[in-house]
Amino acid sequence: MTTEELEQLLAQQPIALLHRLARGRVQRHFRAGKRRLIEVLLRHSAENRPGFESDLQTLIGEREARPAPAPAQAPAARKPKPAAAPRRSPYKPFEPESQEPGITLSSWLEGLGVPPPQTFVPDAWQEDAIAKLREGDVVVSVPTGSGKTYVAVEAARRAIAENRTVIYTSPLKALSNTKYTEFSKIFGADQVGILTGDRRDNGQAPLLIMTTEILRNLLYDAGGGEIDVRLDTLGLVILDESQYIADPERGVVWEETIIFCPSQAKLLLLSASIGNPHDIADWLTTIRPTPCHLIKHSTRTVPLRAGYLHPNGKLAPLFRTVGIPHGHPGHLHPEAKRLFEQYEDETLPSGRRR
Amino acid sequence: MPPSIHPVDLILALREKHLTPAIVFLTSRRACDEAMQAFDHSHIFLPPPRQEAIAAVLDKVIAQYPSIAEHPLIPTVSRIGVAAHHAGHLPSWKIAVEELMRHGCLDAVFATTTLAAGVDFPARTVIITQSSIRKSRDFMDLTIGEVQQIAGRAGRRGKDLVGFAIVTPSPYIDLTVLTKGFTGHPEAINSQFLISYPMVLNLLKAHPLDQIQSILAKSFAQFQLNQRAEVLERKLDELRDQMEPFGPRVCTDWITEWQTFDQVRRQKSHRAPVRRHEPPEVAARFHFLTPGRVVGFGKSRGVVLRQYRSKGQKSPMVTALRQGGGITESPSSTVTEVSDRILDCVDAPVYPWCTPESVEDLLRQLDELPTRLPELPILIPKDNEPIPDAIVQTLGDFACPTCPSRAACQSDYPLASKLRQEQQRHIKSIQALRTSLWHRFQEKIDVLQQFGYLSPTSRLTDDGEWARLIRIDHSLLITELLRADAFNGADPAMLAAVMSSIAHDDDRPGAFPRVSSGLGSLLGQVRKLAVSLAPHEDPPLLRADIAAVTERWIGDPSLTWIGLCKSTTMAEGDIYRLLARTLEFLSQLRTLKGTHPGLADSASRAIAALRRGVLEELP
Repeated sequence: MTTEELEQLLAQQPIALLHRLARGRVQRHFRAGKRRLIEVLLRHSAENRPGFESDLQTLIGEREARPAPAPAQAPAARKPKPAAAPRRSPYKPFEPESQEPGITLSSWLEGLGVPPPQTFVPDAWQEDAIAKLREGDVVVSVPTGSGKTYVAVEAARRAIAENRTVIYTSPLKALSNTKYTEFSKIFGADQVGILTGDRRDNGQAPLLIMTTEILRNLLYDAGGGEIDVRLDTLGLVILDESQYIADPERGVVWEETIIFCPSQAKLLLLSASIGNPHDIADWLTTIRPTPCHLIKHSTRTVPLRAGYLHPNGKLAPLFRTVGIPHGHPGHLHPEAKRLFEQYEDETLPSGRRR
Repeated sequence: MPPSIHPVDLILALREKHLTPAIVFLTSRRACDEAMQAFDHSHIFLPPPRQEAIAAVLDKVIAQYPSIAEHPLIPTVSRIGVAAHHAGHLPSWKIAVEELMRHGCLDAVFATTTLAAGVDFPARTVIITQSSIRKSRDFMDLTIGEVQQIAGRAGRRGKDLVGFAIVTPSPYIDLTVLTKGFTGHPEAINSQFLISYPMVLNLLKAHPLDQIQSILAKSFAQFQLNQRAEVLERKLDELRDQMEPFGPRVCTDWITEWQTFDQVRRQKSHRAPVRRHEPPEVAARFHFLTPGRVVGFGKSRGVVLRQYRSKGQKSPMVTALRQGGGITESPSSTVTEVSDRILDCVDAPVYPWCTPESVEDLLRQLDELPTRLPELPILIPKDNEPIPDAIVQTLGDFACPTCPSRAACQSDYPLASKLRQEQQRHIKSIQALRTSLWHRFQEKIDVLQQFGYLSPTSRLTDDGEWARLIRIDHSLLITELLRADAFNGADPAMLAAVMSSIAHDDDRPGAFPRVSSGLGSLLGQVRKLAVSLAPHEDPPLLRADIAAVTERWIGDPSLTWIGLCKSTTMAEGDIYRLLARTLEFLSQLRTLKGTHPGLADSASRAIAALRRGVLEELP
């Protein structure tokens, strides 16, 4: 498609579609008018033309696949409001309002407290991840705070016991420093080293902590012939926060690291919950010598509850249920809903809801 | 009502419900700082044993990092048990806050949502006050993944039975973003394969050009592009099935054949007398509205005197003599009835289009006509009227007009051509998806060849050999500066200052020390070069005021950290990050010992001078 054709095609699309297309690509796209939006989109598309075009086609396809708005129905059939009314105010629930009342604040707060001290028993998925790492690479995608570090520590412990070098990378220098302190306490200061852009501490230790960029540079040097001896004994590479692979600027570093990671080393990718962990696992399976296992779960170790705190100090549950009603964003607690509407009425310019 | 809850009230409410410790995510650093100031005059002190616990933990951290001993927030932290944690603070301060949280000493930490990923400590509760975050100078809605990342900090394993994520509104909050974030499934992530110059150089150093394509094919980017291509291929197969009934007819490629024929036909008919969008009955009747014809206009009746087409719109018109003697000009569509009766009339070339005698004659005859007249049976053709013979003759090259499958072709053409267009579009997109990475890589190769880092055979030149060691942002600008010998004779302070102005990518305004004239002119040269490289690499901000901060720190070894902070309005944490990043850039220059000994030496000296005080504390 030439640029002119693309421009024409964009011009034919409704503005809503352009906004959907611009989401994640163009900042402040909601401020731009149609012509300006097309201009910016075209400029942006220069970077990844085919991706942009295929996104556009998907959106157009979705739009065409969507049935035309239903013709006016008989009044009797229209009574319960259809679930997907074409235009709805953003705060209307998405589903027909259920009459079931919300839970009370006290039952929402119930269970708050400190659990009795227990001996630590690893979760099944943690055991599974460590076991699977013997056979091949492992991708772990679990909610924040589930205990990914335990997997990293145990996996590192086993690799070190086999006289292998372990490299642990994190996206931020600050996180590297935290882990350095943490791992030094677990393994002993002589067992842990840290490499940053301009300094190396205990660089011969079996467990090395660095940012992913540093590891990528090591792998570059190894590829260029200046072989770093430690790469021969490298047994395990742990990439923490590997959802960074989608970072617009730095994501490519994770890809390069994974592509150039020596084949004798196992890869352990630790990631927060993401939508397509199986894609990452499938990808690793296609490019790595051993098949990749995906360890994935979405239940949190410590259950989460959502609440609403009004500026006047009044607390209410956010949802009608005690826990989070997954998949039902409209199940707002009546009290929270009322308070928020009141807040909007009082703080937003009159007659205009965002 | 206040636009958002007052920090003191917030802490009181949390304490009352036993929801502490909490992390409060706020919009900006300033909001965090203001929240801390709000506690200056409050009297919600912690009980003495807890204050002592905080002091004990702080003492331990201060022993390790003396730079935070005088931190202005310490009194508030130790008396009230709240702290701020954001990018404007020194890493050592952030470590102190994290340590306090880990010991459970604090009731709340105010942090910026922007740095949510860097907040690596859990709490019982997180407070969310906004639904969008600042991403490179702009506010964007939080994604589901981000909301869950933030909410994920709530609930400490082994210390809490449940965690709480509490939304409290502030201006510009959109509750749906958050409720969707809580209840939704995180977004799929997409590869962002940015091909950089150092990457091209390093890959070509290790692998010959013909292997590169297979290496790129191993990327997650290509994996996802292939997935997309597969989706398109499946669609393509579906389209092929849909195209099945439109298979070969009399001619194998009837769609193209018909398309050209149709185009020619349209062009021809465009030149032929205009047939606008007239209803078929109007067009059919128009031929019969000849002079003398008796026609009905609704209730009245008239005799056609002449027919013509209007000048502008070429719409069919008639001039008629009405009962009562009026002569009217009206569109032929106003004729409601065409009777099978023609009255004698003598034509005339000018108004009233017939001889005056015959007007009277006609009027008389009109009146004498019976009330009912037989209607003229007019055949109204369907839409696709036959092509006039004259055109068929000019289309002699086409078989279509006489082809037996012509009717089928004509009716199927719109659908079939649409399907085929879509098919071709898919084929093109699939090709593009399969090869785009390689094309992007080649674009970079072209630039590197143009600048002489790669030979025409895509081998590294001597310049390329050292340039591949510069693996930072704006690498092309830096390597070009080295080739232009821009740092020849520049002292370590100048070198570091230029590097920091290249490294710094924040346009937060502020007041800064003055820049020396030597540095100013050097930056001018750098800026010129950066502008000339703009087609190949986005130029850095190159702020002279930022460069001056680094220049002062290196140029004056007696300058203390406090003194440096006082000379600018930049936040401590920002200065730290600026210098740390400068260190990183300089250490890359230091690796060029073999080819640029003078520069490497200058960089080493700059590193030695940079790394003192606060910068020495952390690894």
